[in-house]
Amino acid sequence: MKKKITIGGIGSVLLGDDGIGPYVAGMLEAQYGFEEGVTVVDLGTPGLDLVAHLSGIDAAILIDSVKNDEPPGSVTIYRKEEILRLGPAPVRMDPHSPALSESLMIADLTGEGPSELVLIGITGQHYEAATGLSQTAEQAAEKCVEAVLAELDRLGISYWKLRKEPFSAWWNPIAEAHPSAENNLTAQPVLS
Amino acid sequence: MSTRITIDPITRIEGHLRVDVEVENNAVSNAWASCTMWRGIETILRGRDPRDAWMFTQRFCGVCTTVHAMASVRSVEDALKLPVPPNAQYIRNLILIAHGLHDHIVHFYQLSALDWVDILQIPKADPAAASRLAESLSPWPRNSRNEMKAAQDKVKAVAASGQLGIFQNGYWGHPAMRLSPEVNLIAFTHYVQALEYQRKALQVVGMLGSKTPHIQNLQVGGVANAIDLNSQSALTMDKLEQIHLLLAEVAQFVNQVYFVDVCAVAAMYPEWFKIGSGVTNYLAVPDLPLDSEAKAYDLPGGVIMQANIAGVQPFKTASDAVFRESVTEDVTHSYYEGSKPLQPWAGETEPQFTGWSADKKYSWVKSPRYKGQPMQVGPLSQVLVGYAQGHPLTKKYADMALQQVSAIAKVNATPAVLHSTLGRHAARAIRACMLSELADKHWNLLVNNIAKGDLAVCNPPEFKSGESEGVGTHEAPRGTLSHWIVVKDGKIKNYQAVVPSTWNASPRDQNGAHGPYEASLLHTPLARPQEPLEVIRTVHSFDPCMACACHTFDPSGKQIARVKVL
Repeated sequence: MKKKITIGGIGSVLLGDDGIGPYVAGMLEAQYGFEEGVTVVDLGTPGLDLVAHLSGIDAAILIDSVKNDEPPGSVTIYRKEEILRLGPAPVRMDPHSPALSESLMIADLTGEGPSELVLIGITGQHYEAATGLSQTAEQAAEKCVEAVLAELDRLGISYWKLRKEPFSAWWNPIAEAHPSAENNLTAQPVLS
Repeated sequence: MSTRITIDPITRIEGHLRVDVEVENNAVSNAWASCTMWRGIETILRGRDPRDAWMFTQRFCGVCTTVHAMASVRSVEDALKLPVPPNAQYIRNLILIAHGLHDHIVHFYQLSALDWVDILQIPKADPAAASRLAESLSPWPRNSRNEMKAAQDKVKAVAASGQLGIFQNGYWGHPAMRLSPEVNLIAFTHYVQALEYQRKALQVVGMLGSKTPHIQNLQVGGVANAIDLNSQSALTMDKLEQIHLLLAEVAQFVNQVYFVDVCAVAAMYPEWFKIGSGVTNYLAVPDLPLDSEAKAYDLPGGVIMQANIAGVQPFKTASDAVFRESVTEDVTHSYYEGSKPLQPWAGETEPQFTGWSADKKYSWVKSPRYKGQPMQVGPLSQVLVGYAQGHPLTKKYADMALQQVSAIAKVNATPAVLHSTLGRHAARAIRACMLSELADKHWNLLVNNIAKGDLAVCNPPEFKSGESEGVGTHEAPRGTLSHWIVVKDGKIKNYQAVVPSTWNASPRDQNGAHGPYEASLLHTPLARPQEPLEVIRTVHSFDPCMACACHTFDPSGKQIARVKVL
């Protein structure tokens, strides 16, 4: 049986560097191929809907912006035990840190949670309502991709590079927007 | 002497809602609802192509993605007066139905059931007795002793670990918790099962929308699904059959579990039919259009003022002229500049943060008003405006719910009990039953239309020079959503989203009238003011979602106190 792996980018593309998760997911999808069983998904800001994406899989690799004491652009790895230790948010649920640990706990409660989960965290710089990443975050994206690939190596999952073109996100500011990147006006979606 | 209690935040999903109440003689004497973070996301849309707007609005909220996508394409279609092919209407409707079913199930089990169900009573339950009771209420095949025992073992394992894990923050043992150990166990067994069925509903959204959580198949003018019953890359009969099967499984769960549980829990807390009414002006828009030009709908809309059900004013269409003229937003108590209420098309969002002040500005939420009045939105509004118009499907399930509650509680529950905290829960379950019946209907409409040879999915939009206004509405799981767009020379000139939680969570307006959350909390009795479970019950009954803000992961796990008593 092939392992089921979910690589998920978390964050809001409308809030500056919070979009780093979807950005890295977009890069991986555009530039790499993966063995069967690997799903790359832009999860947005799913709250408890994350439970569905964490259920019935062997491992999850999540990419998200983080708030820690590292300088902007740093990449820090957090593993399942550390995330579970945070517990469900009693309160000031910094909106999805609770949803992440809470979703993981619910998935585990049903016995369907992933045995391994890693969060690749990028310390962001700007979180105002705006589209597009800061230069610092954009540079960190490359490091994130490497961290994801290293994690796949550790799990024994194969992948290959598809092409080297620079990735351009559809949500970039108007001047540099590339509406055809994910735009259905020109491409018919494939139903799966 | 009153005590001030601050609850910050109250949603289990995502933060940013703060509620302050003043308590006198163990009852709420005053209330303030506020949102603690500015969005202002609409400004990102100015200058962009209206055909792309839905991809951005879909990112407003990570939980209600599809609803903002749908309202957005409808706003542009309204500005262009562009009809949508029947196939596109049915495919959109099926997505909206599946998303709504998912949302209602999650809301009851994962987000609010534990306000009524005491997890710590579960180890004391007799699984055989729980099974017998559940089987006496419903034909659901998964109410066996073994199912109950397995769920009980999960709770015992969590309790034995010494820490309560996922359940560590409930108000367990609170005097307002009153269910028997067996009923608590039944509800928790279904809490676990609900996770499976909500996922099936999401699968339908993914199959039709090509991805979830962000659907990819919308277009201004229709959808992008290629229909070819014989091609693997298109919408085939195979996929349609799978979708039909999934929807039928979800419908069974809704009818035999969710609806039954809500009626049973409600019947055991009958006093909550008298608590939490608040604003009894109700607003709902028609939805699930049945034809290309959206002249007929399967969900009725309209307005009820001051609980006057007989005086209901129906809306003929989803962008009814009266609706368009009657909505304004007031910023008297919101952190924005501006002195008079504005129509959304002329809406401004210039921030003016002053800090929380009980009698001045205290929220980032604006105060939407309808003809100057605060309105409650959500499933209760939709059910009441439908019931008032004699809408057969609404009446069918609403009467069934009232009969079931009456039978279990041995009372005579009339439609008037729905103006309450429990009424909002009951209405959501009623609406879920309606949606699951409509899922089958709209699936058949789609399949029959395709079988006639109609494969059209989109009418491409054409933009002319000059300015036009449009409003796109959707009766979303949390209530009336409207997107207001001004298009000029093919570009977006202004864009405002008036979301359901804004109607319900709105602060006071220029006349000092409370918003629905605030009004619903007044006079609520509190058994233990330092543990305001009753306040949380009422606020959760609205299904708040203030999300839409930053989602940065905080590994320090720093948390401010859940409840602060001053």
